[in-house]
Amino acid sequence: MLKVRVGRHKWKLGVLVASALLAGVWSLKGQATRPDTNAIFSPAHGSISEAISHFFGYRPEPVQPIAFPHNVHVQDVELACMDCHISAARGPQASIPDIRTCWNCHATTATDRAEIQKMKGYFDKGQDIPWQRVWGWVEESHVRFNHAPHILAKVDCATCHGDVAQMTVATREIQHTMEFCVTCHKEKGASNDCVTCHY
Amino acid sequence: MDRRNFIKTTAAAGASATLAGCGNPETQLIRFIPEEPLFPGIATWKPSICPLCSAGCGLHVRVMDGEAEVVRNGEKGLLKMGLAKKLEGNPQHPISHGKLCARGQAGIQLTYHPDRIRQPLRRTGPRGSGPFQEISWDDAMADVLLRLNAIAAADQQKTLGFLTRRLRGQRNVLISTFLKEFGAPPATLFEVFSDDVLREANRQSFGFEQLPTFDLARSRYVLSFGADFLGTWNSPVAHSVAYGEMRQGRPGVRAKFVQVEPRMSQTGANADEWVPVKPGTEGILALGIAHVIFKANLRTPSAAGRAGDRIDGWNTGLQAYTPEAVEKRTGVATARIERLAREFADNSPAVAIIGGAPLAHTNGIFQALAVNALNALVGSVGEEGGLSFTPHPDTGTAQAGRRGLRELAAEILSSSSSPVQVLFLNDANPVFGTPPAWRVAEALAKVPYIVSFGSFLDETSLIADLILPDHSFLESWVDDVPESGTALSVASVAAPVMRPLHQTRSMPDVVLDIGRQLQRPVVLPWNNYEDMLKAAFAALADKSSNWDKILENGGWWSTASTGPSVNPARVTPAAATLQADPQFDGRAEDYPFHFLPYASQAFLDGSLAHLPWLQELPDVISTAMWSNWVEINPVTARDLGIAQGDAVEVRSVHGTIQAPALISPGIAPDVVAMPVGQGHATYTRYASGRGSNPVSILADLTEPVTGALAWAATRVGIRKLDNAAPTTPLIVFAGALREHEERHR
Repeated sequence: MLKVRVGRHKWKLGVLVASALLAGVWSLKGQATRPDTNAIFSPAHGSISEAISHFFGYRPEPVQPIAFPHNVHVQDVELACMDCHISAARGPQASIPDIRTCWNCHATTATDRAEIQKMKGYFDKGQDIPWQRVWGWVEESHVRFNHAPHILAKVDCATCHGDVAQMTVATREIQHTMEFCVTCHKEKGASNDCVTCHY
Repeated sequence: MDRRNFIKTTAAAGASATLAGCGNPETQLIRFIPEEPLFPGIATWKPSICPLCSAGCGLHVRVMDGEAEVVRNGEKGLLKMGLAKKLEGNPQHPISHGKLCARGQAGIQLTYHPDRIRQPLRRTGPRGSGPFQEISWDDAMADVLLRLNAIAAADQQKTLGFLTRRLRGQRNVLISTFLKEFGAPPATLFEVFSDDVLREANRQSFGFEQLPTFDLARSRYVLSFGADFLGTWNSPVAHSVAYGEMRQGRPGVRAKFVQVEPRMSQTGANADEWVPVKPGTEGILALGIAHVIFKANLRTPSAAGRAGDRIDGWNTGLQAYTPEAVEKRTGVATARIERLAREFADNSPAVAIIGGAPLAHTNGIFQALAVNALNALVGSVGEEGGLSFTPHPDTGTAQAGRRGLRELAAEILSSSSSPVQVLFLNDANPVFGTPPAWRVAEALAKVPYIVSFGSFLDETSLIADLILPDHSFLESWVDDVPESGTALSVASVAAPVMRPLHQTRSMPDVVLDIGRQLQRPVVLPWNNYEDMLKAAFAALADKSSNWDKILENGGWWSTASTGPSVNPARVTPAAATLQADPQFDGRAEDYPFHFLPYASQAFLDGSLAHLPWLQELPDVISTAMWSNWVEINPVTARDLGIAQGDAVEVRSVHGTIQAPALISPGIAPDVVAMPVGQGHATYTRYASGRGSNPVSILADLTEPVTGALAWAATRVGIRKLDNAAPTTPLIVFAGALREHEERHR
């Protein structure tokens, strides 16, 4: 049993060693920072460790530019999720609202708060808020998730995203492992065919 | 390697390939506020029009949110916006029928090209040396207005020139109206592969000065003289759809297709029979076929009517065109001529097509008139399975008149002060596309001020003083009235499918702005180009099709053919005595080969060489990519000691170029051919300095009636360059022509 498992992961070990070697060579060449943008190819990862993390699907908790309080907006202002994440019922992505949505209220509301001032700073410069992504899969998993059918099947947002109503910035309280998806699909009688999600 | 190992290797390769694309938060570009409402991840399809060739295919463009790297207010950053992602044919459109060719597919790269001109440029160094400075639109407009006001103040309005590719639809109406109102002469049209000879012949034969439309789907016999109608000529997508119908759409009927040309084109490779003919003698062969038809009493000369009257000797049975005489002149065997004639007359409906190289000889008009008469003889004109002319909807007409570039260049060179003081340049690259004897570069150098609407720096834009970059077609209001390709009356129109990426402006709107801001304003009745289109299409709108509906469909088209009758009243002009035999430049002893430059499958006349998808598209016949080549017959190559890939020098009276050899049995032994399109000195990172330009060694021979360049009339000599590798090597995707090599081993 143990032997099999080592066998299964041996190649990842190999890649790790190779990556470490490559990283050594890379830093020797003094290129640990992001290479300059090349006009033909888009820039790669900023560092080799970033690339390795990416390969193994490890992602650090995102640091958001503004400490957005979900709890205040849901509990006190009584906004519904889809008031801001407008396309959850329409298409694959729930979508993060752009700064114009915030500005609808915050042009006049709570303008004295520090975080709102920060937001105004972006808005005045004609910039959007550089929110960091919280959820999602690495490309290699070939997962294509579509929000709309889940919303239409009346799956509560909290089922997958946790009780965001109690959070400030969203955190990954629930890990979106394949086991998590498959279990729920089984319970609800949804298809567990591979190509339902991987294609 | 077993499956498990394979997955391991590909997984590692996949990881390194996906290093791109994921941003590091610290170094991430700033994000601009989106300018439009977007529902992420949801694609919409919007109609547009393909601008890459003159066919005018209707498109459907897939538009979805995405992040574009843009500059706003001098700052670089990311903008979330609706972006065009994919082009397909518009299923309802009468030209494209939901299909699109490889060139059209690559059209998306015009918008996202890394070397696109992103804002107005003012020349700072000596002309042609390169340095330009990015300036604001306000400064750029001030520059243009200063020049135009100066010539208007001096009452020299006629010194404004406008050099453009052939324009259609409302752009044509707008430019011609602007020039007329300003007091300038009509625009000068320039295309390397112009179809003016055929238009003129069709005017003489049938009364329609336009390209013909073929009802291939219902033909039973197609006899094509040099027309690459499935690849690069006229309306390739419409032809291909109809060709599929012709071959496979009728149970039990496959139709026969014969291609007459000295070099087998992509279209020729589809034919049932390929008839190599001496260059420039296609018309003689057509008359030889007509002669046999008369002789065997399959038809009478009078059946051809007006079209026959244009041919000297037609009414007396074409005595000079006996199969024996025609064999001597064309190289096609007597028995074959007789057989082709019988097949052509017996398999009704039959249609003859002429296009491309046969018209690019000094006897081009004769060749076209001969084939037109042959069509009229077998009754294929205006009939099912034959040829007709696309009726044009009434959306306004442009001022007629033209001024050839060759004459214009000569005029500039011969006068002390240039008769053109300010020249606008739109979608034309004559420095690349004219023979050296026209001395276009020299003439343009004498023009004091040149303004280009170009999106890319090509050889001609490089000598401009000011560049006012146009939007890409996906960012503009576009419209078109297809000249051919359908029996319906069609006017296509489409709104921009996406917002402009860069600080560019639509050419028609810039022209309208210039008119308004002149000291003596040229006030045209439209606020902007959108208004102009709306006004023009109002005439077509009725209860069933209002403006919104027209925009949703991508245009207006009639439901049934409402075309004018193709055989208008028979005027009987005296038969024209036309030169039947072609003339060539260069003595046969010194320059033993006919030189055939042809429109490249990927680049057409070279205007598409900057699109990397087309550079990497393997040529349909040779599978060559990222290069160009000289096609040489295997026997000729053996005699000259030339092998595949060898550097070969091609020499005419007017110049010398070199290119790698491509040994091909699909070319006559006394002909060498080169695709046009490569050999750009300057045309973005993808095309600059790649291959050589066959137009640069062409002779200054023209077809005398239209003045069109006889680009197939140059003779050349070739020799292998010893101890030299080709400057751009031959890159073939598959081992070319193995079948031939095996058979002749």
